[in-house]
Amino acid sequence: MEMLYHQYKRRVFGMAHRIVGGSDAEEVAQEVFVRVFRGLASFRGDSALSTWIYRLTVNAALSHLARRGRRNEVGDDGLTELPAPPATERDSALAARIETALTQLPAGYRAILVLHDVEGLSHEECAAILECRIGTCKSQLHKARARMRELLGANIAERNATDKGGTP
Amino acid sequence: MTTCDKTRPRLTAYLDGELADDHGSVVRGHLRECAACRQVARDEAALRDGLRLLPPVDPPASLWGGIQARLAAAEVADARRPLWLRVAERWIRWVRTARFAPTMPQLAAAGVFAAAAVTLLTLRAHRADEPPAPVPLPAPPEQIVRPAPSPSPSPSPGPRPALERTVEAPSADDVVADLLAEPARTTESYGRVVGELMTRAQTERARWSDADRSKFDTRVAELRGEIAHGGQPRSVQRTQRVLINYLQETLTHSRDNVMLASGGPQ
Repeated sequence: MEMLYHQYKRRVFGMAHRIVGGSDAEEVAQEVFVRVFRGLASFRGDSALSTWIYRLTVNAALSHLARRGRRNEVGDDGLTELPAPPATERDSALAARIETALTQLPAGYRAILVLHDVEGLSHEECAAILECRIGTCKSQLHKARARMRELLGANIAERNATDKGGTP
Repeated sequence: MTTCDKTRPRLTAYLDGELADDHGSVVRGHLRECAACRQVARDEAALRDGLRLLPPVDPPASLWGGIQARLAAAEVADARRPLWLRVAERWIRWVRTARFAPTMPQLAAAGVFAAAAVTLLTLRAHRADEPPAPVPLPAPPEQIVRPAPSPSPSPSPGPRPALERTVEAPSADDVVADLLAEPARTTESYGRVVGELMTRAQTERARWSDADRSKFDTRVAELRGEIAHGGQPRSVQRTQRVLINYLQETLTHSRDNVMLASGGPQ
């Protein structure tokens, strides 16, 4: 049980953190692991264990948002709790802007972006986790990225280069 | 000619390497000529790379402790839940996770089976309401009379109109009238059996003690009073069944006592 926890804790907590925000991520992650440990005996193995755990995570996070009525208003409080990324200054600036934009996305878009682009899952895995068709998954991803581009503004790449140049 | 409107929806798939060669070539060709789409593609690529390079988020050290506390609380709640609720939850969980999903014919067969079972139970319950057949009691020794032999022991080979007569199907009115007359017939049947048993009891009571006779008369008068008082047909029939059982038991006991040279009902 503890091995399973250590294997998935980063991904589960990271996904929960980026979907519901930093203040509620721990509560959602706890709920997910309790469901995993209590439901492990009834896990049928129709999908990979990781797919099942990610599905529980996404469902728990979206349900949490629905319960709180905070689907589109996560706020920036989560950003203040983000640990300092061990990356270059350029990556840090872009990451901060992306994290800010992520919090302003609708929860469904946030989920598909986190699964596909942040966690690096395939369209097939995303479709299995979100329980939708692959075509729907691709379409949602396209719309989510378009919305992110709008939120980040034009010339993302150039602004990053500018940020890098302006950073002492 | 490929326009921007046709290219931009394909940019996500193109940048993820999901377009087939010919489609990818078309998108590449448009991007070479269109600066606006080239900028959108650059932005999307930067966004995709930025998302992939987001730093991992470490969970707090308290997460594992919180999970263990929640698991313990869930187990305590399990122990406090009533058994029927746990069984129901287990059944619901089994139905949700079962690989066996009943098809419509299987559901229909199960429905027919359930209906047949209900019908059978209903018929058995209805039969239980009918009067019991009286226990054949031997006549008192002094009253045993051998039946006289029949003057015509062999049946005549003549026609049997009663058996060979064609039975006509009853009309709908006949069936309804028959059903309506059923309670009266049942009551009449009870009355006939009670009369026969009372006749035998009158013969037997000569051997009972005064106390037993009084007890018998009181009980019979009480039950007959209830029957005479009327009420629902079902209730009257039930009381008649009680009277019949009482008479049968009394007569059986009296017969046993005669054989053991002691007298009176209990």
